[in-house]
Amino acid sequence: MKLLPHWVSRPALIALLAALAVLAVLPKALGLSVYVQNLFTETFLFVAAALAWNWMGGYLGQVSFGHSAMFGLGGFVSGRLLLAPHLPFPLAWIVGGLLAAAYALVWGHPTLRLRGPYFSIATIGVGEATRLVMTYWEEFTGGSSGLSLPITPGLKSELYWWGLLVMGAVVAASYALRKSTLGLGLLAIKSDVDAAADVGISPTLMQDIVLLLSGFTVGVCGAFYASYQNYIEPGDMFGFRTSISFVLMAVIGGVGTILGPALGAVIFVILRQYLIGSYPQLYLGIYGLLLIVVILFEPLGMVGLFFRVARRFGLVRPEVQAKAAVGGAASAREGGVP
Amino acid sequence: MSVILRAAALSKRFGGLKAVDSVDLELNQGEILGVIGPNGAGKTTLFSMIAGSIPPTSGRVLLEGKVISGASPRRAVRAGVVRTHQIVRPFQNLTVLENVMVGAIYGKARPVGARERALEVLEFCELRERAPQMPGGLTLASRKRLELARALATEPRVLLLDEVIAGVNPAEALQMADLIRSVREKRGLSIILIEHVMPAVMRLSDRVIVLDAGKKIAEGKPQQVVRDPGVIAAYLGESASATEAAAREAESTPTPASGSRAATRPTPPSNPTPFSTPKKDPGERQ
Repeated sequence: MKLLPHWVSRPALIALLAALAVLAVLPKALGLSVYVQNLFTETFLFVAAALAWNWMGGYLGQVSFGHSAMFGLGGFVSGRLLLAPHLPFPLAWIVGGLLAAAYALVWGHPTLRLRGPYFSIATIGVGEATRLVMTYWEEFTGGSSGLSLPITPGLKSELYWWGLLVMGAVVAASYALRKSTLGLGLLAIKSDVDAAADVGISPTLMQDIVLLLSGFTVGVCGAFYASYQNYIEPGDMFGFRTSISFVLMAVIGGVGTILGPALGAVIFVILRQYLIGSYPQLYLGIYGLLLIVVILFEPLGMVGLFFRVARRFGLVRPEVQAKAAVGGAASAREGGVP
Repeated sequence: MSVILRAAALSKRFGGLKAVDSVDLELNQGEILGVIGPNGAGKTTLFSMIAGSIPPTSGRVLLEGKVISGASPRRAVRAGVVRTHQIVRPFQNLTVLENVMVGAIYGKARPVGARERALEVLEFCELRERAPQMPGGLTLASRKRLELARALATEPRVLLLDEVIAGVNPAEALQMADLIRSVREKRGLSIILIEHVMPAVMRLSDRVIVLDAGKKIAEGKPQQVVRDPGVIAAYLGESASATEAAAREAESTPTPASGSRAATRPTPPSNPTPFSTPKKDPGERQ
């Protein structure tokens, strides 16, 4: 089959298409309740956002605690475009994503010269500064009273398929970024930025490209979230909690992998849904606990746990795990292969 | 013989310290040029400037008349100058093959056929059967060959080798020396070699330059250079240079180099003799 680039594995492509097809007919076939269907929609959204965060945090090893800046910006730009010029929502999402990407580049181009914890600390500053400015910029965000979006009947249910589309595109993009020749360069940068530069890679350019893509995608997710919620508020959209939830999803699922952040997002949405009604603040606490357990015992998260169990039962060969760890915790542990 | 690479009055100053002080250097086509000198003489700094990793404070590096210094390592690599690192730096999260593929893809921005080219280089460096392994499991000698393979995959014309022999056992050292020779013979590269293992430098190099305290103090055929009084002084320290200077004064044949050097070198050199096998670098973990 010459249609596909050599790095696309046919089983992976078929699995993705099959999963998308099943999910596409699921609500009609099973007659899902509105509640469950909305839960799916939220999951799609967070899977996309967690994967986009993972391009920075997992592939490049640049852990950002400031992705709420792009999430919020995408949401509010799109919200404003839906309110005043009454753009159709897919167009508003794309414009929101583009502005979020541009903003990401503005703060990212200088800060991406920092590596590791120094970059992470800088992103906390960026996220919090953005939140403060946006909270006081009432003409744009409506201040602390937020922004109510026009209500379109039937939109919330339609968003299920839009969410599926966005998620499918982001999963495919994650795969392409990871497996193509570009992905090899990203992992080289993650492992040793100076050695990568010495064989001809431009770390600045590569990191800017990835941040641009990540910022755009998270911006679109923010815009999607705005359409889904119909009401957005800067303290929530730009909040540190939003940033940290992307980090948590990716790390608990398995940073640097594709399945990991997706899995982490599913767990995040389910946990939140169960706990938010009874203990509104507890779900982040439980997530924090999970995070500690993961970092202490299984740095590759759920995916690492899966491989450990599979190896115990002789289902995979030992070297498979090493391969899965590529781009994962391998380099996080001071260069040792787990 | 034509000059392929030329460094003109290259200097690097770190604050008050002149790490490299106005060094001129010429590398001929197909030549192996050895760079020796005591620790801290500025050899690696010189390499970093030629490879574009750090910009020179003054002076420039020209590859066939075109300036390649002062921009980025990428510019140097695209032009055809690539370096290896004294302390091996494989990408720990990539397989041996993928490590070399990174060089093959990004060296000349040519992703097509990178896998095949990487395999060919691995074959050349006798690492073919290690291709699917992670670099963490390789011996130091193999990791040094991987470092070389990754550099070769960028298809350079000038190769800068930073201590690729030091730290390995004698048999592996011979193997590496053969490999370096065949890089020149079979791939037609010109090579600059920093090395502490003196027998290897003497046998491999066509020409040697000696750095001390950032300055070039000698240049010539290996056999001439090791007999140079200034070089002996740099390696053996002031006392030797003082006694020699005294001896020479008695013969009334003053050499300005060794005389001025005794005054400007307050600390004794850490490498006591040019012919000793070198100490292991702290970073070379095995």
